[in-house]
Amino acid sequence: MSRLILLDNEAVQALADPEHPKHRRALSHIQVVARRKARQIPIRVAVPTGVRVEAGYSRTEATNAFLGRLRVSDVPLDTATANVAADIVSRAAVSVADAHLGAVMQMVANEQLTVITSDPDDMRAVAGTAGVTVVVI
Amino acid sequence: MEPPHALDRINELLDSADAETANTSMRIPIALRQAATLAVEELGAAPSTTALTTAALRATLEALVMQAALDHHYEQHPQARPSLADLAIAAARLDTHPLAVEPERIRRAAIEIVALHPDADPDDVLLWAEAQAFVSA
Repeated sequence: MSRLILLDNEAVQALADPEHPKHRRALSHIQVVARRKARQIPIRVAVPTGVRVEAGYSRTEATNAFLGRLRVSDVPLDTATANVAADIVSRAAVSVADAHLGAVMQMVANEQLTVITSDPDDMRAVAGTAGVTVVVI
Repeated sequence: MEPPHALDRINELLDSADAETANTSMRIPIALRQAATLAVEELGAAPSTTALTTAALRATLEALVMQAALDHHYEQHPQARPSLADLAIAAARLDTHPLAVEPERIRRAAIEIVALHPDADPDDVLLWAEAQAFVSA
């Protein structure tokens, strides 16, 4: 089974900014992913677009090329995901970004899920019944 | 072409939805091609040898690009380079390894194993830490 690693708002900010106090810690996990990719282990890193909005991370900014170079892909907020995310907002009173993360967790099939986050309680709240490994930075 | 520009261009090409194909003059060893054919036909490794070859090449390129981006980042920001212990702790957290909750034990193991095996990797550190934990239990 392949593995999907999701990033929350602070994980994005920590990766994007070399001066962020958690930069090296966040980068450690990406380096582990890179080593596993080199061993042909199916693993990928993604960020829900709602999280990118909350983090203020635009891929069009030249200074923001690093995440793209690390092969961190977007998970867009399509209609089906928006419906699940809206239910999560109603139920758990979390931010749109966290609800988007939760919707992705609940909708992903056939991938082992991990989320890198600074807020494990919120991640567990939005994950519902999805089996998710929560890695705290 | 500067490394970052080459990385960006490779990423663009990897992300391209362009499904156009080309016959190549790439010479593949006969034995390797036969092994790939057998893997497809007998093991169901992929729908076709072309798909198998393409997937392997994509995975290799993604790993190369990711590591090159990290190496470039470490050149620009040496303080961002994770230590062996950092990587072992990150690997433990991603894998929910039992020692993930004992980062100091992992840090000690990293120091110890590097003294014996300077080329040790994060998996070696975790194995050493686990062995030390077993011995001291």
